[in-house]
Amino acid sequence: MPYTFKAHVADVRMQVSGRTLRAVFKDALAGMTALAKPRSPGARVTRDIALSAPDATALLIDFLNEALVLMLTRREAYSAVVFEHLGERGLVARLAGKSVEGFGEDIKAVTYHEAALARAPSGFWQTTIIFDV
Amino acid sequence: MDIARLQKIEDYLWEIPQDFRGDMRVPARIFATERLPRDIASDRSLEQLMNVAALPGIREYALAMPDVHEGYGFPVGGVAAFGLEDGIISPGGIGYDINCGVRLLLSGLRKEVVAAHTHNLARTIFAEVPSGTGRGGTLSLKDEELDLVLARGAKRMAELGYAEDDDLAHIESGGVLPGADPAAISVHAKSRGRDQLGTIGAGNHFVEVGFVDEVFDAKMAHRMGIALGQVTVLIHTGSRGLGHQVATDHIRAMVRAMPKYHITLPDRELACAPFKSPEGQAYFSAMNAAGNFAWANRQLITARVRRAWQAVFGAGEKLSVLYDVAHNIAKIESYEIDGKVEGLLVHRKGATRAFPGQPVLIPGSMGTASYVLVGEKKSLATSFGSSCHGAGRAMSRTKARARIGAKQLRAELEAQGIAIAAGSRRGFTEEAPFAYKDIDAVVSVIHDAGIASRVARLRPLAVMKG
Repeated sequence: MPYTFKAHVADVRMQVSGRTLRAVFKDALAGMTALAKPRSPGARVTRDIALSAPDATALLIDFLNEALVLMLTRREAYSAVVFEHLGERGLVARLAGKSVEGFGEDIKAVTYHEAALARAPSGFWQTTIIFDV
Repeated sequence: MDIARLQKIEDYLWEIPQDFRGDMRVPARIFATERLPRDIASDRSLEQLMNVAALPGIREYALAMPDVHEGYGFPVGGVAAFGLEDGIISPGGIGYDINCGVRLLLSGLRKEVVAAHTHNLARTIFAEVPSGTGRGGTLSLKDEELDLVLARGAKRMAELGYAEDDDLAHIESGGVLPGADPAAISVHAKSRGRDQLGTIGAGNHFVEVGFVDEVFDAKMAHRMGIALGQVTVLIHTGSRGLGHQVATDHIRAMVRAMPKYHITLPDRELACAPFKSPEGQAYFSAMNAAGNFAWANRQLITARVRRAWQAVFGAGEKLSVLYDVAHNIAKIESYEIDGKVEGLLVHRKGATRAFPGQPVLIPGSMGTASYVLVGEKKSLATSFGSSCHGAGRAMSRTKARARIGAKQLRAELEAQGIAIAAGSRRGFTEEAPFAYKDIDAVVSVIHDAGIASRVARLRPLAVMKG
């Protein structure tokens, strides 16, 4: 499993790892969408986003927060992302998914707490992400 | 950390000296019993408190209340005051749910009368006050209407007819923070909040009908209009998705701005900017607006609860506001520092203002007691006029769910005479009483430390939650 959920006293802790930055971003989005428990998926949708950040960790958290606010305000669940560009400090991407009736889990924010996206000695990129629920 | 390094300053007050860690600018202090430091040391809240003690412009000490637990950046149950000229402002020191807070309504009815109607009452309030994941309210505001709410808070709700005459006089800051700028709120944040006025949300937020089961200070209780056996309504919620998005937006902006101000931090959730900087002022304006949104939210919920109340008990039955207090906020207040009065930006994250003579409302968890206290003078000298805010979570949601099923929990609460209306079985079991710290022990520390005195204890009759 490219993402796993771990115990946290108040909220949800997710660990994600991947061979490439793209894999980590893609799997982190998939993990967040799974956590949100979308209800009654309907029509296909896409959303274009462009972001910049000081480093890869901030970019990942900002990416997930951007996807989250689109999920909540447009009632859409994104199961895939295609990157036109992805570097450690910027991305241009298209989110793809479906419109939904709502969500079973109330994710309020994606936090920077414990987040540190870096390459492990294995060569894999990995980080922890805490969701405020 | 090694709790043997904690120094006891006086009964219920412990200190981590400034020289414990090289980057600390002031000591860190913890209000606790002899036993509580061991509980507190079981998570990272003391390490987080020391991180707060290292922030630029902090005055006197970083403080932890007896309900402290690990949060994002700052611990929950933390208080810190910063100089207006040389200090910072940090969204993480206020929390994602800006102006999460508590409002207590007093009824003219006694427990014996209401007890026969709790199931009907719970269902009626549950129908009037939307709660749960993603539930919108009955108002969906256009931009200009939302801006008026952001600028004028509960006062705007009064203008729209959702308040009784003296409601605003019984809200901290009159239910409206000055310096709120709707233009400082992003389109994203407005989109998240547009249809959320009058909603509770999920998690530990609730509307609870209770009764006064013990009076500790008869004179003060009488002055507050509280009597033994009287039925009350407690409302616990905040600024909903709008507040969370404001925090997200401004943490992001401050992470980018910190290098410009040569601020380095051990945890990005401590992200901050000088209070006087453009980034600091932008966040302060947005935080005040989100705070106003929260007060408008609790005001509209009050109006809906009153409607439900009168539907069950008749049009003549009133609910008056005892008080409404924030426990996630930053405010400019004056304190004496080294013999001189200085304006400070006091961050309270999971901490309740406890000015002398002010009602202090401490909600318990579902099924346990809540407390009404009154602030004491000592709070100004020892805790920047602040008290605890609740019991604090002690067990993860997963463990709580694994330990009890919804059916059993409902049966146990109903056996105690507590009616439940919950939108989600999962959310309901996650909030089981055993998942929280002992509220009685937490409140005892605050009382015995002289920060605020116990006035009355409330027991639940009906709980409505998402």
